[in-house]
Amino acid sequence: MGDLNNKTGIGNLDDPRLPYDYASREYGTVPLDTSRREPFQWVSEVAYKNVHRIVARGYDTTELMEEGYGVVDLLFVDFQSRIPLEEETKMLNYVMILALEDGLSMPAAISRLVAQSKTFLTQACGASILAFGHAYGAYSSFGNRLLTYMKRGRDQGMSEAEIARQIVEENLHDESLGVSALMLKDPAAKRMFARAEALGVAGEYVSLMKEVVIAAQNKGTSSVDLDMLGAIGATMMDLGFTPEATWAILAVTRSFAAGAHFIEEVEREDYVRTGQHLTPKEDYDGPEDRPVPSLAQRKTDVKAAQTTNLSDWKEEFERRKQISGSGFAIVEEIEDPSEKTGIKRVGR
Amino acid sequence: MNRDPAIRRKTSISYKTEEKTVLRGYNLSELAEEGYSFCDAIFLLFQNRIPTENEEKMLNYEMGVFTEHSMSPSAVGAIGVATGRPNLPAAVAASIMTFGGVHGPGAAHGYMMNKYLERARNEGKSIDEMAKTLVDDYLDNGTPVMGMGQPQHIDSDPRAEPIHLKQEELEVHGVYLEFQRAVEKYFHARRKADGKSYVGVNVVGAGNTALMDLGFAPNAAWCIGSVCRGFSCSAHALFNMKRGRAWGASRAEQMVQMLDLSMIKYVGPEDRKVPKQAERKEYAERQLQEGEYKKWVI
Repeated sequence: MGDLNNKTGIGNLDDPRLPYDYASREYGTVPLDTSRREPFQWVSEVAYKNVHRIVARGYDTTELMEEGYGVVDLLFVDFQSRIPLEEETKMLNYVMILALEDGLSMPAAISRLVAQSKTFLTQACGASILAFGHAYGAYSSFGNRLLTYMKRGRDQGMSEAEIARQIVEENLHDESLGVSALMLKDPAAKRMFARAEALGVAGEYVSLMKEVVIAAQNKGTSSVDLDMLGAIGATMMDLGFTPEATWAILAVTRSFAAGAHFIEEVEREDYVRTGQHLTPKEDYDGPEDRPVPSLAQRKTDVKAAQTTNLSDWKEEFERRKQISGSGFAIVEEIEDPSEKTGIKRVGR
Repeated sequence: MNRDPAIRRKTSISYKTEEKTVLRGYNLSELAEEGYSFCDAIFLLFQNRIPTENEEKMLNYEMGVFTEHSMSPSAVGAIGVATGRPNLPAAVAASIMTFGGVHGPGAAHGYMMNKYLERARNEGKSIDEMAKTLVDDYLDNGTPVMGMGQPQHIDSDPRAEPIHLKQEELEVHGVYLEFQRAVEKYFHARRKADGKSYVGVNVVGAGNTALMDLGFAPNAAWCIGSVCRGFSCSAHALFNMKRGRAWGASRAEQMVQMLDLSMIKYVGPEDRKVPKQAERKEYAERQLQEGEYKKWVI
């Protein structure tokens, strides 16, 4: 299929402005490095297995279960490398029951929508987890905020109440504050704190969140109270889970219920075919119906997107913000979430 | 604030008002405060009933042994997704989505059991007789018997036999364990007669049998197994996000990384020159005529 050493005239690849000679670059895969580096292995400090055992943080998992521990205990083992107190296990069971189901909220809705396409159940369960972001199920944002403000406040010698006031001052309307108007009539969130206190597992985060509630109630113009995000998030952190671990555990917990919603959707509703759903024109507020320009008109009438000075760029940018769906009205700060996720603002 | 449901549906699973969240008729706070466990709630979710204490213990055991499995497709999926550093839920979702026709196919095993049990009833055969029929059907067709064999635990899945024993110890065994045990008996006998090596029951064969005896439908059982694995995969993804390097390709690490270039082994067509557009018609027609490309079509 041709002489690989004699290639010229391929597009711009002979352009002298290229900082290298593209044509002379080697083909072939990279040989294994057996001299300088160790061969690849799946490195884990969480778990390993061999032919005969599965071991998590040093504990054989079958032996753990035979000894009477359970799946909830294993979450402490996997995420915290420790056996929990019985009271901690009871509290995590409590949290997970409360987190299991939330009616026809986003995880259930996503699961049901996926189910309509005749997929595997596991696709729907997985998809439901994607509902957990920095607004809905925002345990990472919530928890990392508490960690950040608590550290900063303590470094500055602030009291718990002062830290709480600072959190409220700077985040009163954030979706992940943990205080909102969502549970003014539902005592479930406050009952969770009461349970944590009764079991002796409530700590600094439950305490701080109580102060955040007071600060928010004093600051706000409308009624607010502890919500489930705040209750679950603070309780999980007092149980020793990081914000990221909390985020994942609670998303997976809800995914069980998403499975039930998948099943019920398949049992009670019809599958949906390609092109089946209509979008009524009354829901449309884009440009009026218009004739497609001819290809000849394209040459004369169409304006390119490029701008050549900052003034034009800004003007064009602002114009594009008015085009719904273009993305210009959204500003995100996307960064590596390896250490902490959720503390950067995303969205509008 | 708009508090309408995300979608409108008639549902018998739950409802949520401004005052409470109710699962199958029970206020979730009251359920938790009474001392029921998360596993109890799973029975309620899928079966609309409170389980016996031993049933709860069995589910707790099954989920406990299934949750962590170190490096399986699910954990590798989570780690692979995490290397690009998306939000953590993307990696967790991916791990659960790896459960398909081969990795933890709990639903398939359950449907297989139900199908053959129904056949036994219709054909007037005993459970033992139908187990032999199942094994012969599958092996005569060259089809793997679901629930048997595991590519890593090659002589016996460390979770499987203990699950069977736990079912018996807790007296939560029923028709499914009887059927599964019989399937294993005939499976082992058939392989021995065929001169093949021993292949033990796997965690799907054992765990899904337990779940079916506990009253879970095949898909509910699959959900329980697949989703509880999401817990441990979250830990694996987090470990790699917090302790490992993004991309998994750094050459500065002591160990060759997952996506190091040397990890790529190419077995496709030889390196070849890109044809000029002027040659394209002739070139493309020749490829079509020669048909060599067909062996690469996937």
